[in-house]
Amino acid sequence: MTDTHSGANRKEEKHVPSQHSSRNHLITFGLSIILTAIAFAAVAMEQVDVKSVVPFIFLLALIQAGFQLFVWMHLDQKGHQFQRIFMAAGAFVALLTIVTFVFWIWW
Amino acid sequence: MSANHALHTELPAEPEKATLEGRNKILAFWFFLGGESVLFGSLFATFIALRDKANGGPTGVELFSLPLVAAATMLLLTSSLTSVMSILAMHKKNVSQMVFWLVITALLGLGFLGLEMYEFYEYVHEGHTLRSSAFGSAFYTLVGFHGAHVAFGLLWLFALLAMTGKKGLTVVTAPKYFVFSLYWHFVDLVWVFIFTVVYLMGKVGV
Repeated sequence: MTDTHSGANRKEEKHVPSQHSSRNHLITFGLSIILTAIAFAAVAMEQVDVKSVVPFIFLLALIQAGFQLFVWMHLDQKGHQFQRIFMAAGAFVALLTIVTFVFWIWW
Repeated sequence: MSANHALHTELPAEPEKATLEGRNKILAFWFFLGGESVLFGSLFATFIALRDKANGGPTGVELFSLPLVAAATMLLLTSSLTSVMSILAMHKKNVSQMVFWLVITALLGLGFLGLEMYEFYEYVHEGHTLRSSAFGSAFYTLVGFHGAHVAFGLLWLFALLAMTGKKGLTVVTAPKYFVFSLYWHFVDLVWVFIFTVVYLMGKVGV
């Protein structure tokens, strides 16, 4: 197995798409850690105004979710049109449910 | 060696997408993830609607410990990275490296689950249970459902590791690793919203 595949390795190394580079993933990981740390710090230090901290940490969460979907799950790559429709439809229904419930308790 | 039989003498660059069956599995799994988004969306909606109905019991501000949640977040976020590393190793056809990253993923997942069990145990002792209040019901349903996803993912991962020993990496087994890594990323994605909506917003107390 090792013999045939070390040969195959050398031949196919250049075909691996650049989006798969581990450097990209490590950068995204580092950014996710930073975003998480900022979100926790904003709440823990109680410096940010209560009304603005919730939209702020929610924005950070959305950015991190985008990292997961587009960098780690490769939703941005070609041939993922149906995948994007599935996730957009799911997110739409989820968001509609959440908005409905939030308005239901306000009024 | 014997596992790498007649199908192909050598693996293509992206073995998970080499067969129609593999591509169909990945497409169908995204359909499932769309449905999972709706499921978690409804649980989040319920939690947001009921999170201040503590019924005289402990509230989120009193219960939640941010260092514990931060540690759990680190474990799960890192395990998402290690599962992507295992797919990178798979694309390099390096089976032992792939198994190494999968084992690390499993250990981090177990650590996360251990912290969550400890957390729930503490809460129950402080009078925060599934039946104590609407807040309790919504909390344990949402966070517990996510924890159950982690637990199921771990069982899945152990089955994959057992399969690796028997069948090795082929165009038939490659989609199974890939689909698992999609699942694991999605579980981490849901956790990002849980620590934001449940713990951080609970600690802010609005």
